[in-house]
Amino acid sequence: MENCIFVVMETENGAVKNVGFEMITPAKEIAAAKNLKTVAVIIGNDVDEAAKQAGNYGADAVITVDAPAYKTYASDEYTSVLTTLAEKYKPEAIFIGATPNGKDLAPRVAVKLNTGCAADVTAMKLNDEGKIAFTCPVYGGTILAENVVETVPQMATVRGGAFKKAEPSETSVEIICEDEITLKAEDIKTKIVDVVKEISEAVNLEDADVIVAGGRGMGSPENFALVKELADLLGGVVGATRAPIESGWISRAHQIGQSGKIVAPKLYIACGISGATQHVTGMVGSDYIIAINKDEDAPIFDIANVGIVGNVLQVIPAMIEEIKKMRA
Amino acid sequence: MEILVCVKQVPDDSVKIGLNASGAPAIDGVTMVANAFDTYALEMATRLKEANEGTITVVAIGPEKAKDALKSCLAVGASKAYLVSNEGLENMDSLATSYVLSKAVSKIEELNGAKFDLVFCGKETTDCTTGMVGPELAERLGVGCVTGIVDISLKDGGISVKQETEEGYNTVETAIPAVVTVNKPEYDPRYPTMKSKMAARKIPIDVITGADLGLEADKTAPAVKVTALSEPPKKQAGVKINEKTFEDTMAKAMEVLKEAKVF
Repeated sequence: MENCIFVVMETENGAVKNVGFEMITPAKEIAAAKNLKTVAVIIGNDVDEAAKQAGNYGADAVITVDAPAYKTYASDEYTSVLTTLAEKYKPEAIFIGATPNGKDLAPRVAVKLNTGCAADVTAMKLNDEGKIAFTCPVYGGTILAENVVETVPQMATVRGGAFKKAEPSETSVEIICEDEITLKAEDIKTKIVDVVKEISEAVNLEDADVIVAGGRGMGSPENFALVKELADLLGGVVGATRAPIESGWISRAHQIGQSGKIVAPKLYIACGISGATQHVTGMVGSDYIIAINKDEDAPIFDIANVGIVGNVLQVIPAMIEEIKKMRA
Repeated sequence: MEILVCVKQVPDDSVKIGLNASGAPAIDGVTMVANAFDTYALEMATRLKEANEGTITVVAIGPEKAKDALKSCLAVGASKAYLVSNEGLENMDSLATSYVLSKAVSKIEELNGAKFDLVFCGKETTDCTTGMVGPELAERLGVGCVTGIVDISLKDGGISVKQETEEGYNTVETAIPAVVTVNKPEYDPRYPTMKSKMAARKIPIDVITGADLGLEADKTAPAVKVTALSEPPKKQAGVKINEKTFEDTMAKAMEVLKEAKVF
């Protein structure tokens, strides 16, 4: 498998996180131009279905390392496995989702392989020298830096939602099962003793056609329920800025922006969101943006197709009422 | 407990930074501050020190001006500070930065006459946001690493930390020495007092140079090179509806939205 690009698929209970499938799309484009293979790498437990899916989404081959020890992400174990695979297969590039786990894994592997890693990539293309030019937002997204990794493999962490996953089609690809790597006791430095899942429902912001998002201006968890009510009515998904998440009104899985997901739905309704750059970079690609804010100078109005100056606690219920009337 | 907190001086992240006439980030005139996540790391380290015992040292890589960020740290929990001069090291990427920091750790341990038990870093900086220096430093030091933590306590001679995940949190245990990177905890960093500021001013900040660290030139060259900078395309603002009464605003808004076939 010389001459390949690794696309690392993160799994959760055997299911691949969206960003994994999404990364196959740009990897295939680069692979086609450079005559490389796109190889999905899956470290996890019970990943047969995930491996099949990676093929369906366009990977040329899949490498799996399947063992109970890899059921949940473990920093030391995953670092050793990915490093070993990279040393064996010598990929030209390694793409890893910029999730909390991916951002834990990538830098540690980068040091082991003594290579550079571009962070939070939102776009990529081949440059004239045949290297990958990665676009990385800096300064909260107000500046886009084009980064080139001079060393090999060219590593990158890739933002969720930055690329579109392909339409899956039933494809049978080569699946290589690699052995579990048993670490020496002294090499396992950290131990996860408890895993608490606060989120029961799956939040799929990347594929949503409608997103209704709330910000600090919603004021309280009770008021934030209005955001959900409007989202439900429109068959949409709830999004949030950092403030409501830090206040505990809603879980981190809903976060949109610099430290969350990048989204581009057909309709985005921003409720009580001022429009800080850190949030706007994650949603400015939406087709149609409605912003509701009582501050008429809120920067969110600069990017909204329709800005409604008013109190969200009045506007949202009125809007819900109107939509219900229209549909009656 | 000997604690090191790594700090970067960055432009105030509440200021929108675009490109200047020569195509570089327009940071001239923007207040330079200690990176927000590093201040969370320092606050967490300070609370750990207060609950147990110990000394906190802060280190930054940067120009002479970065001493200001270190001084602000000395006023809120740190008692020693070192500046690694970035002369000749201006264009480092995360990989190179972690190399220089790993060398600085050994040097400071030698100067302090004690090994560090814990190294705290912010989860990421607000300017480059790679979030890579902490785990890279851990890897270079050959010690355990937990990223994105929001709480820490001592346990059985090691540490127990609460690590944020996408779905909730993990409780992770690791032996010391270890490196942790800190996310926003439930509390805010404390403010300095007049008295603590005065006391901080009296603490000397020693400067360590690249030569002091015996750096290998090829390891300080960036593996990730910035080849171009641009500003994201601006989006045109549409209509803003702000009528005299709420009813009028709502009526007009719904009219526009119906017209655009949004609902």
